Order: sequence, then C-alpha cells, then structure tokens
Amino acid sequence: MATLRQTIGATAGDGAPTGHAMRVLKAWLPSADPLGLVGIVLAVVIWWALGFVVGSAVLPSPHAVMARVGQDFWVAPMLSYYGLPKTGLFDSLTYSATNVFLSVLLGGAIGVVLGLFTARVTLARAILDPILTTVGTIPILVLAPFFLIWFGTGRWSALLLITIYVVVILYIYAQRAADNLDPVYEDSARTLGAGGWDILWGMLIPGTLPQILGGLRIALAGAWGLEAIAELLGAQRGIGKIIEVLAGSLDTEGIFACLLVLGVAAVISDMLMGALARRAMRWSADAK
Amino acid sequence: MTRATQKRISLAVFVAMVVFWQVLSVLFPAEIVDGVPMIPGWQVLATTTFLSMADYWGGGFGIISVAQGGERTTAAAALSIISHSWDTLVRLYVGLALGAICGATLGLAITWSAWTRRIIELPVEVLRTLPLLAMVPLFQLWFGTYFAGKIAFIGYGVAVLFVAGVINAVRNVPPIYLENARTLGASKMEIYKTVILPAIFPELRATIMLSLGLAWATVIGAEYLGAQSGLGYILVYAQSYGFVDRMFFVALLFVLYASISFALFNMVSTKMLRWAPRASGRESLA
Repeated sequence: MATLRQTIGATAGDGAPTGHAMRVLKAWLPSADPLGLVGIVLAVVIWWALGFVVGSAVLPSPHAVMARVGQDFWVAPMLSYYGLPKTGLFDSLTYSATNVFLSVLLGGAIGVVLGLFTARVTLARAILDPILTTVGTIPILVLAPFFLIWFGTGRWSALLLITIYVVVILYIYAQRAADNLDPVYEDSARTLGAGGWDILWGMLIPGTLPQILGGLRIALAGAWGLEAIAELLGAQRGIGKIIEVLAGSLDTEGIFACLLVLGVAAVISDMLMGALARRAMRWSADAK
Repeated sequence: MTRATQKRISLAVFVAMVVFWQVLSVLFPAEIVDGVPMIPGWQVLATTTFLSMADYWGGGFGIISVAQGGERTTAAAALSIISHSWDTLVRLYVGLALGAICGATLGLAITWSAWTRRIIELPVEVLRTLPLLAMVPLFQLWFGTYFAGKIAFIGYGVAVLFVAGVINAVRNVPPIYLENARTLGASKMEIYKTVILPAIFPELRATIMLSLGLAWATVIGAEYLGAQSGLGYILVYAQSYGFVDRMFFVALLFVLYASISFALFNMVSTKMLRWAPRASGRESLA
C-alpha cells in the first residue's frame, strides 16, 4: 500500500494524501492523472462541437445522451413500442451483467484448471493446445450464428459463447504463468519434503495467481463487448438487444446512451477486479 | 517429449476433431430444412454445400449466375468463393492499413511531448472500453453500408488499438537509448527516426497481432449488417434461411484465412526482428 501511494504521489505530483476518504479514492483510481481528466473534458468538448457541425441526428450532444440515460435508466416506456417488456436500461444491464459474470466465473474456472493441468502434464498439453488455439482464432461473429441455431436465442447461447472465449484466454494465461514459475520454488519445496498437494496449494496456485488475476481482468473487459454483440445478433433481452432495436429506428441518441451505460459498467467492473487483485496480492513482493 | 512427437500429436488431434465432427453428424441427424442437417458431415460439405456456393455468384466470365437460370456448376461455385473472399480480404487489409497508419501516426504525435501523452492517454483508454462490435450500427449510420463504412469501422477499431499500443511502446523504450542519442547531439526528429521507431517494433508486434485478430472480427461485423458481397454476407444470408452447412463452410474459410494471415505475419516479423537481442518471442496470440 505504501508503495502504491508513493507512485500515486509521484504521478499526481501532490503531497501526502489526507484523510481516509482521500486514501480510498486514491486506491480506487491508481492511475488517475489530473491531466487525464483534462483530456476527458477536452474530448467531451470536441464531441459536443463536432455534434454541432454534423447535426444532432448523426452525433447527439453529450448532455442529450446523459439526459437520455437518466430518463431511460429505470423505466423506458418507449421501448415497449418496440415489443420489448417495459423495462429500463438498468434491468437490461443487470441481465447482461449476470451473463458476463457467470461466464467469466465459469470460463475462468475451466480455463485455469486446464491451463495449470496442461502446464504440468505434457501429453495433455500436446492434445489440448491445438484444440483451444484453433477455437481461439474463430471470430465470435462466425461462431455466434451456430450457437443461436443450436442453443436458441435465450440466455444459454450467449453465456456459452462468452464462456468459450474466457476459457481460451485463461488457459493461455494460466499455462504461461505456470511455465514462467522459477523452478527453484519447486526444487526447494521438494527438498523440504512437500508432496503433490503441497506443491499445488503452496506453490502452483499462489505463484500463478497474479498473472491469472491479470488474465481474468482482460477476459472480463472483453466479455462485455462479446455479450453486447451476442445480444445484438439474437437475444430477447439485454443492452445489446436494445441497441439492435434502436439501430433499426436510427435512434443514435439511444444507441449512445446504451454504449455509455455499457462502457461505465465495464469500467466499474474492471476497477472492482483491479481492487480485488491488489487485495489478493498484498503479500507479494512484486505487487504493484 | 520431443518436438516431432508434439507435432505428431497435434496432427492426430486435428484428425480426431475432423472425425469427431463426422461422428456428431451421424449421432444428431436432425435437419432444419430438407437436406440441411443441423450438424453437416463432411460428405455434405464437400458436395452439396460446395455447389450451393454457386448461388452467390453474380455472373461473369461467361458463367451465368444461378439467379439468371444458370446451373449450379463447380466453376460458378469456385468463382463465387474466390470473388467473395477477395472482397472480404480487400476490406480487411485496406481497413487494417488505414487504421494502422492513422493510429501509429497519432500515437507517435501524442508521445512527442509528455504533456500531450498525459492529456490524451485517458480518453483513449475510455474509447477502448466501449464495446466495438456493438458500434456497428453507428458506423453504418455515419459512413453508409458501402466500402467506406466498412473500412471506417475496421480502421477505427485498429486505430484505437494502435494508439494505445504505440504510446505504451514508446514509454517502454529504455531511457538510456534516448539519452545516448541526445548526448551525441541528435534532434528530436532524428531520435524518432533512428531510435524510437526501430526500438518500438518488437513491442508493437503484440499490438499488430491483436489488431489482426480484431480486424478479422470487425470485417465480419461490418459485413454482417448490410453488405452485398463478402464472406460475412454469405454467412448472414445462410443464417436467415437456416443453411447450417453453408454457414459451416464459410466458417471454415474464415478460420483458414485467419490462420494463414497469422502464420504469415509471424514468419515475416520473426525475420524482421532477428536483430533484436531478446524480442518478445513468447508473444503469441493471447
């Protein structure tokens, strides 16, 4: 924590943080740079100015999008005209978020187990590597139509689809992390009489945890986009479904509102994951 | 385990996957439309499905299209596959080149001073969190459904990735390189040309790899909504009629082309990076 605060102090260029609230805020925004916030403000101003030039039907102004988010967040009556249940963005977001988290949990568990297992057992690796790397190269849009036909347009098809990509990412990360473990750890543990389980729980899992958590973070960030596109192609509910409906009526303001909500949700979940990773890695010497 | 054994096992796994598909197709013979199985076996794909690609041939070279009353011939099917693949590949590489050039130029410009880098870094990060594929409808509204709309979409996705990648790579150039160059009297322009550009390439390799994958995803996304040609167009068309066999055929083509493009890039970049002391060799597609 001390080193974390020092790096923040160094980048932000200010004195010692004061008070608990400040510390919490700084822990949550580890890379917050005041100039970055200036950049965000500038970007919003450019967006706003550009909207003036091209017209609000093409690029709605930032405040109109914000107002739309506020208006549609809990209840969006106009969505019921499109045959959607009379729900707001929040309900759709919780639907999408549930899918995202379930598939990251499920895919993460499978991917980590497979990755660690294949890192130790060469034969399993030789068999699984070609399968998973082939699956990883199939773009989601190629795979999605098959899942829609085989598993229908309900929750399952999106969930399974994302799970597959999460499995591939975590498989690669966990395997690489186990490969990169210094052999001296295992040698020392064996010398001190550690058995198979001790090696697994005492060395392999804690030793690879930092990279695995990093991989989970990347998978989580990707999963939001995959969920959105899976819903856009065929789903009954979710933010992606709303984008699809609004795109049909050329409602750019509504699409922007959905993208904004999705983006904010992705940023928040990424921050949570980052905080969790830092908490889990407090003991480690090279924790950043 | 030696490399040769590993290669043999990989080959066996691929053969097993092919056989497994065939077994599945026998176990689940359900059909969506008459003659279109849910899980098309290889005998279907090689005959009926291949010939059905002729449906997407628009005519020309003395071979009439099926829509104009022509026969489903092997020649028409082959021509159709080639022309649609060509359309998709042109979109992919034009979009990729456009995005890479714009993104890399912008990234280098941003790193020119520490101020611009600090100001622009966070907005770029925010842009990266927006779900790219969900933005297809917007790009259609802005740039239309023709060639411009597609390459704009692919270019945007690649450019955002490149800006972030270049900024990161420039920051990771060891300061001693820059200090040495400056001590010897190099101007900023000279440093960029002779030190930074060659030094960032090894790290940029991962970015290029990622953007290649992204370009494959986005080109289908762009073709998914409102294209009149390309492999993505065939995929959508086949899906709306429930032709799983045609979808599978196109999916195989996609995997084939994507694998070839990855392998080619790997080969070329490994050759280009032979000078680098410890190039990021472990960087495969993550």
